[in-house]
Amino acid sequence: MLEAINLHKRYHQGEMEVVAVDHFTYRFPTGLTAIVGPSGSGKTTLLNLLAGFDVPSQGEVRLGSTPLSSLSEDGRSEVRLRHMGFVFQQWNLIPTLTALENVAFPMMLAGLGLKERNARAAALLEAVGLGQRGKHLPSKLSGGEQQRVAIARALALNPPILFADEPTGNLDSASGARVVELLLQQAQEGRTVILVTHDLELARKAERILHLKDGKLVRVEAPAPTLVGASPSS
Amino acid sequence: MPRLCEPVNLVPTRTHTLHLGVVAVILVVVEVWTLIYRNLRARPIRSILTLLGIAVSTASMVLFMSFGEGLRKALGAELSAVGPAVLVLPEGVEAFSPGYPELRPETLEALKKAAPELGINQVIPYVVLTRGGFDPQNSFVFQGIPDGLSPKALYPNLTLAAGTLTLSPRGAVVGSRLAERNQLGLGKVLRLSPEVSLQVEGILKKSGGLSDNIIFVPASVVQEALGTRNYTAAAVGVSAGFTADQVAEAIKARIAGVSAQTTGDVLRFAERAVRISDLVRFGISLVALIVGGLLVANTVMMSVYERIREFGLMRALGAKQGFIFGLVLLEALLLGVVGGLLGLVLGQAASGLVNWYTGREVGLALSAVTFRLGSFALLVAVVLGLLAGFLPARTASRLKVVEALGRL
Repeated sequence: MLEAINLHKRYHQGEMEVVAVDHFTYRFPTGLTAIVGPSGSGKTTLLNLLAGFDVPSQGEVRLGSTPLSSLSEDGRSEVRLRHMGFVFQQWNLIPTLTALENVAFPMMLAGLGLKERNARAAALLEAVGLGQRGKHLPSKLSGGEQQRVAIARALALNPPILFADEPTGNLDSASGARVVELLLQQAQEGRTVILVTHDLELARKAERILHLKDGKLVRVEAPAPTLVGASPSS
Repeated sequence: MPRLCEPVNLVPTRTHTLHLGVVAVILVVVEVWTLIYRNLRARPIRSILTLLGIAVSTASMVLFMSFGEGLRKALGAELSAVGPAVLVLPEGVEAFSPGYPELRPETLEALKKAAPELGINQVIPYVVLTRGGFDPQNSFVFQGIPDGLSPKALYPNLTLAAGTLTLSPRGAVVGSRLAERNQLGLGKVLRLSPEVSLQVEGILKKSGGLSDNIIFVPASVVQEALGTRNYTAAAVGVSAGFTADQVAEAIKARIAGVSAQTTGDVLRFAERAVRISDLVRFGISLVALIVGGLLVANTVMMSVYERIREFGLMRALGAKQGFIFGLVLLEALLLGVVGGLLGLVLGQAASGLVNWYTGREVGLALSAVTFRLGSFALLVAVVLGLLAGFLPARTASRLKVVEALGRL
């Protein structure tokens, strides 16, 4: 279970202090949670803190009973590797590796054998509909395909938590729909999926929507009616 | 749509359990090889230019250092070809810089007289005269040996190609390369000075050593040309039951105004001189090496800056700082090793070219790329790669994920 307790993050811009996240407290259940808010509301900073990319000025992020800020850089890397998957808006894939190698990358970090990771990476690519594109470099894939490879990679080590930061931001509507479908599927399969978006229509597919404004959690909207019965596989 | 939550076996594998040791390092290298190789291949021109930079700097070091190795080899071969084991020289004169003849006949007489007691079985005085300049094509070395004596007394391995080895009072035996270069045949007249002329009576077979470039003449002829009765040095044979060192010590103790050097002393002296020149040559080649190292550092640092987002992504996905550090360091190391190997091949080729030239000019292979030198060059290339990669690797590994991914 991922939990943010009184999370606070401030930056200094010259003489000025900027509060990016203001005493945010929330326990993330399984299923899809969307974080929405206008530009500059602190969505990305919040995700950075939740994922352990950054440390809070105050408060803490707990994964189970472990406060992430008590861990070293490498300790947080280990937590991300074992417990979290990521899909970003861009810069998702390592440009010099093929789609298959990108998916296999976290498994290599985790020390899985070559055969095992290649077999699993191939299966994951197959599952996101890119079974035939494994040998292609990211530059040869469309934006939607790259996002699907990123989803496959995020699932490589079967993490319980999945972060998606504007995953459809650069995609056309058809590709975006496919990506959203995959994320919803993950939520239904029992993962905690945290989706950061400024797209309210996309956010409404989530079970709950957290509204941020000036770094503060101003409203929790739940449940999202579109999720019910939305699973294409159910 | 198939379910994506298939379980994955996360039981630690060997990569986890082996944190230290050569095997672990090899495993990591194999694991990250694809990443390194792909990155270098993604920037082919830069990678090739960097490799060439290292290769040229390593090759120049190999070539510079190969002269020392070549000299060692040549000296060893030359000294092993000398018959008598002890060389007697005027005091203060070194074996490789004989200069004007200063060994007086009286001193030689005293030496001969004391020979049985000193453990000496033969004394062969000789006088050396050089004519010509620095250009080996136009320089001649005359070695004057006692009248009636064969040059084999000094160099037992010499063999005759034509004529005779027994010199007449105005005869000369010419080394093969010198004869070939100057088209000296039997009966040809050599002018040592306006008053002194000699006739070629023998031509030696090629030995691959200095004797290929020497003209053996009677000592009296050289002395006449120089206007002296002195000798340059005397080669001394050691009687059975004595060692060269014992004889040399006895000579120094008994005969005033001379020093005695064994072939071992000469080799040790030569080794000291070559070692000093090694240091000088290494110092010069260090400049090229530093340039090569800076080239690698620059390439790797540029590569790090270009790949900041990539490293950020890796960190975000769970790569530890050590992984990124190793990745960048191994890339620099790979450039160093491959460049070093390439440099070794280039250096070997350049050394061969030098040997072809010096062989043609003076009949000696002055350059040698030995196993020792090859290993040293590779070691230097490896250290160069590691040093050049250290700072970029440290920079890359310490990147903040949020900054690297541009997520501020």
